[in-house]
Amino acid sequence: MQTTPVLEMRDISRRFGNTQALDGVSLRLYPGEVHALLGENGAGKSTLIKIMTGVHQPDSGQILLDGKPARIGSTLEAQRLGIAAIYQEPLMYPDLNVAENIFVAHAGRRWLVDWGQMYRAAEAILAQLDVHLDVRQPARGLSVAAQQTVEIAKALSLQARVLIMDEPTAALSAHEVEQLFAIVRRLRAQGVAILFISHRLEEVFAIADRITVFRDGRLISSALRTEVTVEQAIRDMAGRSVEQLFPRRHTVRDEILVQVRNLGRQGVFQGISFDVRAGEVLGFAGLVGARRTDVGLALFGIAPADHGTITIAGQSVRITNPHQAMRFGIAYVSEDRRGLGLSLPMSIAANITLPTLQRYLNSLGLLRRRDEVATAEEFRQRLAIRAPSVDVAVGTLSGGNQQKVMLSKWLNTRPRLLILDEPTRGIDVGAKAEVHQMIDQLAAEGIAIILISSDLPEVLAMSDRVLVMREGRQMGIFARHEATQERVLAAAMGQSHTVGTTTAETIGSAS
Amino acid sequence: MNSWRQRIRPEQIRELSLVGLIVIALLVFGWQIENFLSARTFNRITTSVAIVGMVAIGQTLVVLTRNIDLSVGSIVGFTAYFVGAQLAANPTMPPAAAVALAVLVGGAMGLFNGVIVAYGRVPAIITTLGTLAIYRMLLINYANARTITVDSLPSWVVELSRQTLLTIGDFAVRPLFAITIIAVIVFQFVLGYTIFGRRLYAIGSNPEAARFAGLPVQQTVLAAFVLCGMLAGLAGFLFLSRFGNITAVAGQGIELESVAAVVVGGVNTFGGSGTVFGALLGAFLIDLLGQGLLRWLGISEFWRDALLGLLILLAVASDSVILGWLRRLWAAPAVRVEAGNER
Repeated sequence: MQTTPVLEMRDISRRFGNTQALDGVSLRLYPGEVHALLGENGAGKSTLIKIMTGVHQPDSGQILLDGKPARIGSTLEAQRLGIAAIYQEPLMYPDLNVAENIFVAHAGRRWLVDWGQMYRAAEAILAQLDVHLDVRQPARGLSVAAQQTVEIAKALSLQARVLIMDEPTAALSAHEVEQLFAIVRRLRAQGVAILFISHRLEEVFAIADRITVFRDGRLISSALRTEVTVEQAIRDMAGRSVEQLFPRRHTVRDEILVQVRNLGRQGVFQGISFDVRAGEVLGFAGLVGARRTDVGLALFGIAPADHGTITIAGQSVRITNPHQAMRFGIAYVSEDRRGLGLSLPMSIAANITLPTLQRYLNSLGLLRRRDEVATAEEFRQRLAIRAPSVDVAVGTLSGGNQQKVMLSKWLNTRPRLLILDEPTRGIDVGAKAEVHQMIDQLAAEGIAIILISSDLPEVLAMSDRVLVMREGRQMGIFARHEATQERVLAAAMGQSHTVGTTTAETIGSAS
Repeated sequence: MNSWRQRIRPEQIRELSLVGLIVIALLVFGWQIENFLSARTFNRITTSVAIVGMVAIGQTLVVLTRNIDLSVGSIVGFTAYFVGAQLAANPTMPPAAAVALAVLVGGAMGLFNGVIVAYGRVPAIITTLGTLAIYRMLLINYANARTITVDSLPSWVVELSRQTLLTIGDFAVRPLFAITIIAVIVFQFVLGYTIFGRRLYAIGSNPEAARFAGLPVQQTVLAAFVLCGMLAGLAGFLFLSRFGNITAVAGQGIELESVAAVVVGGVNTFGGSGTVFGALLGAFLIDLLGQGLLRWLGISEFWRDALLGLLILLAVASDSVILGWLRRLWAAPAVRVEAGNER
């Protein structure tokens, strides 16, 4: 019954600034087919979804609905055309009940709510999914799985013919995944076209009829599930183009600076064990939801670990707040420059000295502003921060220069362990190369560096060793020479056995 | 040639523009109103600004952290009455003790606000709206429909507001105004040159970044509220000295005036920028407009509140527009400087 596709994307391209997010991508969704979309972080999956749901408009290309050209100008229009999406974190109104959440998009069509009819209709839709939920129960307190079911019911109530599921299983238990799949199969039998996005390959291979792989905004392969193997899919996802590999020098020293054993935080991550030596760059690789940032936040005391041990320079420590972490010589450069890193209305100098103000006091306990400016000037020259003076507000700088101010701020704490979380996200190629050079330089000075990055070629190029995480667990540590894109990606997707990682170092995570 | 651009920030221009507005208002009123530019007007305005300005200093500290203190009106009223009653009962109490008592009582009220906001995580606007009513109720209970009168107070209290410290031409500087000016200078310095001051700005402009930088966010917010209470307490003492006759409604409306002074003075309601000097200028401008319009157009006292409301709205609404415009004006030549350096 391969008839006309419900939704066809033809030669879609979309650019954001310097990044070609999608480059001539074509995709067909057929009724009654589960179409899985695979790809590494930044492969273009999210952009495609956003175009399908009317959030973004394509720069070029065509969208066909039932074979006829269509325009999806807004999310409302997508909804009217029968395109619905559910996400990892469902969007619920916690104080409305289940039925109200299902029909919330219908509101405004009539003057009065017919409660009895609404409850009956909600029950009918849930019955269609073979789900038992009290429709009068408020959404607050529902499990993520139940919330997703409500989202699906909402989509059905709007007569959705295309259902996009973006990482729907990430927060579900194995049993809940089974239940979700039962619903997916039922929808498929009813002729709904489903686009299923997941980093869990076993799930993709269990549910999908067709598997498409994206990489660098391009479609690499698209085939029936029966025609592809897991190995093939991983190979297609890996092999990302590498712009320019920065030549790392070998700067690892003998001294083990930080030793982490079996670190965990309830419900977030567990069993993380690694060593970092002075002058070493330890990369943290993983896909979205791997919880790498959470390990960084735990080491910096923002969201402290609740079990495991941290040893710094031979001394066992407990870190429960950033102030302590800084005392132990740990610095954390956040990926969220605006939200967590910088005070935009404040000057470059004031931002740089913020964590270290104690150093700038004179004998009367007053700030020596001239010294602050001197420090800032020093960093401005050292990191080539492009700004008219260190007195200007940080908010007026470009992203790359803001990133350098962040780095300056934390380097000024004279850290022994520097945690860099996505240090090159959203900055241009030139600034990126400068940051890479800086990382090499800092390692050469003997600082231990943890580099968290979703840019796989970057992690591999910059790291001496790579720790791979998946859903809060450590999948292995690869030495530089064994860390290939295929191996790291396979581990990040929980497929380490298929690509043979016998040489991967694993530090005992028992007890 | 661009050095002045680098030295003066857009925010400072914003403050300087207030001086310009004050001068314009003085000229217009002086031209339209007979005898406006007189020692008497100066005296009235400075005395009134002394009290609102003192409260506005504390309000600035709190607003810098992205909070607000609406209870200051009641704190001023309570401390004025309370200290007045104590002085009436013990006329021999030394002046320093009376002042310390006012500061202490205000500080305790500020502490209560601060604990609820910083540790109870109740939004400041709700907390202090509540304590505005509670502190006023405390005063009404305590006063029990009695009034503190000038005659019941030791003479030095009321004398303080009538003395002249120094005269410049016809203009006399009164102690109350001098005290407030000293406090403004001290706190201007605190904001610019102490860790505490820097933390207030950092917390207000980005609380999460402040937490990441290891700053004690809660303690700092608490300290801002305590200081705000203490300054309001001191203002309560000034209030007592100025009026002598204190009833249970003393200080009502000062919360609105202090917020207006702070906002008109260029302190960002989203925190992170502004100075106490700006707030003082804001208090000046507001009082000048109030007095001037009162005499020029013969408008009633009730119009004053409406005027305050209007000024607050105007200041907040125009703030982002004006500052954005100034920043663009600043940024444009900066690019040229950079290009020049690279050549």
